[in-house]
Amino acid sequence: MKLLAKYNRVNVLATIIVLLLSAIIYYFFIKAALIHQLDKSLKVEEREITDYIKENNQLPEPSNSKDEQENYSQANETKVNRKFSSVDLFNKEHNEYISYRQLEFPVTVSGKLYKADVRKSQVETEDLIELILKITLAIVMLLLITLFLINRFVLSKLWKPFNSTLYQIKQFNLSGTDEMQLQQTDINEFTELNTAVSFMTKRASHEYNEIKNFTENASHEIQTPLAIIKSKLELLSQSESLKEDHMNTIQSVYETANRLSKLNQSLILLTKIDNRQFSETEKVDLSTLIVDHLNNYEELINAKQIIVTKNIEPNVNVTMNETLAEILIVNLMTNAIKHNIDSGSIQITLSKKYFSISNTGNKLQSEPSELFERFKKDRVNSDSLGLGLSIVKKICERYGYEISYDYSSLMHTTTINFNL
Amino acid sequence: MKILIIEDEKDLSESIVAYLKSEEYVCEVASTYNKALEKTELYDYDCILLDITIPGGSGLDILRELKANNKLDGVLIISARNSLDDKITGLTLGADDYLSKPFHLSELSARVAAIIRRKNFDGNDLLKFQNISIDTRAKLVSVNNKPLELTRKEYELLLYFVTNKKRVISKNAIAEHLWGDNMEGNNDFIYTHIKNLRKKLSDAGDADYIKSVYGMGYKFSE
Repeated sequence: MKLLAKYNRVNVLATIIVLLLSAIIYYFFIKAALIHQLDKSLKVEEREITDYIKENNQLPEPSNSKDEQENYSQANETKVNRKFSSVDLFNKEHNEYISYRQLEFPVTVSGKLYKADVRKSQVETEDLIELILKITLAIVMLLLITLFLINRFVLSKLWKPFNSTLYQIKQFNLSGTDEMQLQQTDINEFTELNTAVSFMTKRASHEYNEIKNFTENASHEIQTPLAIIKSKLELLSQSESLKEDHMNTIQSVYETANRLSKLNQSLILLTKIDNRQFSETEKVDLSTLIVDHLNNYEELINAKQIIVTKNIEPNVNVTMNETLAEILIVNLMTNAIKHNIDSGSIQITLSKKYFSISNTGNKLQSEPSELFERFKKDRVNSDSLGLGLSIVKKICERYGYEISYDYSSLMHTTTINFNL
Repeated sequence: MKILIIEDEKDLSESIVAYLKSEEYVCEVASTYNKALEKTELYDYDCILLDITIPGGSGLDILRELKANNKLDGVLIISARNSLDDKITGLTLGADDYLSKPFHLSELSARVAAIIRRKNFDGNDLLKFQNISIDTRAKLVSVNNKPLELTRKEYELLLYFVTNKKRVISKNAIAEHLWGDNMEGNNDFIYTHIKNLRKKLSDAGDADYIKSVYGMGYKFSE
């Protein structure tokens, strides 16, 4: 829910409640005041009647108009209480009930007790109350319309700097070089927000660059000693005077150094993808890429007597970084070859919607869901680093592709859905 | 053949010199930017091994300088900065090849040989070893003047052996050379290839030059 909508909801609700409450209070106060007024005039009537009786010693003529009625009746009781009350009486002329305020009081004429009723119509009072209600309703309507108009024309304009800042934040790319262009505003809250946002993004960019440089430098610093170790071992292995067990040792150290450097390179690659480097994208022709790499591994495939079934749609283009596309394809393809069995098979399918590669192979020892995690390898003593598939997954995540793994009828299948 | 090694790590440049020397290359080393610039201005080299991060400046600037002076020296960038930007910049500036550290010396030697072959303007593309001759332009091999049919990878393997003759080459280096980074650790593949190449060479009537070195790899020698 929008902040504005929420605020409006509370605001409108509160306003309506207050207005209705005040209408009710009005109603009672005004009614009370009007009745008080009527009662006063009824008292005047009462005095007039008692004065008349005192003077003439007889009852005045009863009157019966719509607005005012006077009645006299002989009292059966010995005592008549003086009291005010409201009554609804049927008016034959108008064929409707009309509310009256009436005063009953005792009068004595020639020693006889009479009950006198003086009534005055309350119609005016009711009209007034109706008017008040109408005015209140009109005010509520007016208020709603005003709020609507304010929302429509004023508030959206007021929030414009905020929305612009929000857009900038959404567009913000750490690896990008552009600084944020925040809109100037004279609203304190937004100025403060802009200051905070630009401070934060500047700091983030700064730290991002530091980490990036650190990654680069770490790579440099680690690779150079490794290069020295490897070159020295390679030179050492040229020596004619080595014994067999020396050779074995040298080879094992050499391979370990190799592995360490591969590990380092893979981790750097993962970090770089995470940091959204490799930002240059272009149209990559996956069909050609796959066929080219398949040719590269032709001899390996033949050596293992693997049968390859291709179902590759030509001219399948995806927009991504070329290096990453290549890493993606090579990692999956080499996995399918390396983890295959002799006289096994590989099936490669590429369409505009998805890429899938299946290979025969032994059943996984570990959970398939863990397959894409870092350093997860199926067999403890395997030569692989356990990073290939997490690199593949990272690349897929980067471009919003869906990757899934499935094992059925002795085939391992990895599918990448391009979500185009 | 003269080679200049621009590299600030003394240990590494020493190894490179020791390995390349036996290929009858004359090697010189420059370990700082100024020294490197001085040498490249004064002399011509068949191939320059160029590290990008050297004390006193950037290797890329040396490359720019070379190209600005229309020098024809072959340039192989060797950098630990495995960053794509440097690679692309280097190659667009006119470097012939790029090799990231750490590398196999045998790979380095093969790349240097390839650059020198390409830069070689005397038109001689024939590489000879005993009775084997390799036409590197047409990618054809003949033994005793009879053409020998090889697959692409077998050809690359033979070329790799010949450019690293009399050296022990590790299986990893061979695997990486033939299939790139992802195929190391699967040395059965290599065994099959070596076996095939060996068979083809001996069928053509040549001696068996490919020697297995126990625990290490292979060595190509007479």
